[in-house]
Amino acid sequence: MIKPYGQMQNTLKSYDMKNWSKSVELGNKVDFKDKSFGEVNKPDAKTFGDFLLDSVGKVNDLQVQANQAMEQVASGKSQNLHETLLAVEKADIAFRTMNQVRSKVIDAYKEIMKMQV
Amino acid sequence: MDLLKSMKISASGLAANRKRIEAISSNIANAQTTRTAEGGAYRRKEVVFGSEPARDNFADILEGELDAQAQTVHATEVVSTDEPPILKYDPTHVDANDEGYVAMPNVNVMKEMADMISAQRAYEANITAINTSKSMAMKALEIGR
Amino acid sequence: MEINDKTMQALAAGLKFREMRQELISSNIANAETPGYKAKRLGFEKALARALDVDGQQGMNIGDDRHFNVGGGGFENLEPEVFNDPNGVVNESGNTVNREDEMARMAENKIMYDTLIQLMNKKIGLKKYVLSSER
Repeated sequence: MIKPYGQMQNTLKSYDMKNWSKSVELGNKVDFKDKSFGEVNKPDAKTFGDFLLDSVGKVNDLQVQANQAMEQVASGKSQNLHETLLAVEKADIAFRTMNQVRSKVIDAYKEIMKMQV
Repeated sequence: MDLLKSMKISASGLAANRKRIEAISSNIANAQTTRTAEGGAYRRKEVVFGSEPARDNFADILEGELDAQAQTVHATEVVSTDEPPILKYDPTHVDANDEGYVAMPNVNVMKEMADMISAQRAYEANITAINTSKSMAMKALEIGR
Repeated sequence: MEINDKTMQALAAGLKFREMRQELISSNIANAETPGYKAKRLGFEKALARALDVDGQQGMNIGDDRHFNVGGGGFENLEPEVFNDPNGVVNESGNTVNREDEMARMAENKIMYDTLIQLMNKKIGLKKYVLSSER
């Protein structure tokens, strides 16, 4: 066997089997052995339920802010009428949107429950 | 009840100012009157305002604290002033006395006009107050609609 | 979201105090020429702000009915103050009312009153919407 010398040796060493498999280009190795069928196993994924809970929390925050703005106007502490009304409108619209989302989710649920297995 | 009481108070202001304008009109109209029923020249009339706590009913009167309440106003008196009439020299006048002087009413028409404008402004201010109270009460009726 | 939460009570208290203030302003305007009459003012902002705890300060414990209810939204102890205007300029008949000042105050009071009514309507409207939504 011819032993490669010097530069050519280095070059040849840098060619590795790994370079030719796609998984290296992806960054982390995708190991199909650990995957179970039908499950997306990303560690930091949020479920739809978490997403909904977050949104409800945000709507609640908007409501609390609107309440505080209203209290400040009632006690005469703030004369900022336009900002108060804007905050109240935001909270109002957010709440009504959430209500509609709730209706649609319930509709979707009922639709699914109607499906014959 | 507070807003209805406000309207009563403003109405009293309207009435008082109307009386004032009546007195001023009487003064202007009689600026040259030398003969009156009481004898002598016309005496200038003036309206004295007084305020009184606005009380709706007897219970309020019983527990009333004087100064701490909203006050209605009313024209307490219409007085004829005691100022002496102005003597003008005019021997040809029918009512001239022995020296030829006529006692003319001590009405200064310019001053009366200025008073009249002031009374009119006061009247308008009370009208605005009544309209505001009424508008507030009507808005309160629309809560929840 | 309860029906009579702190904000709703705050709005109702604000409405009541603004009505009282309108009464005093009407009295001032009607008595703008009455000799010896001193302009009156109504103070409620501080008491209401304290009851609502608008600054987010610590709430205080209440041991007695007469303690101020800081932050707890206690509106039973709220009494407005009626006092004579300390900055009044006395004219020659002893009257301290400045009619233009009173008109400006009345306009401001009306605007704030209208705002409170509108805010209250918004809150009530939202609750009614929730009640009427089906499913």
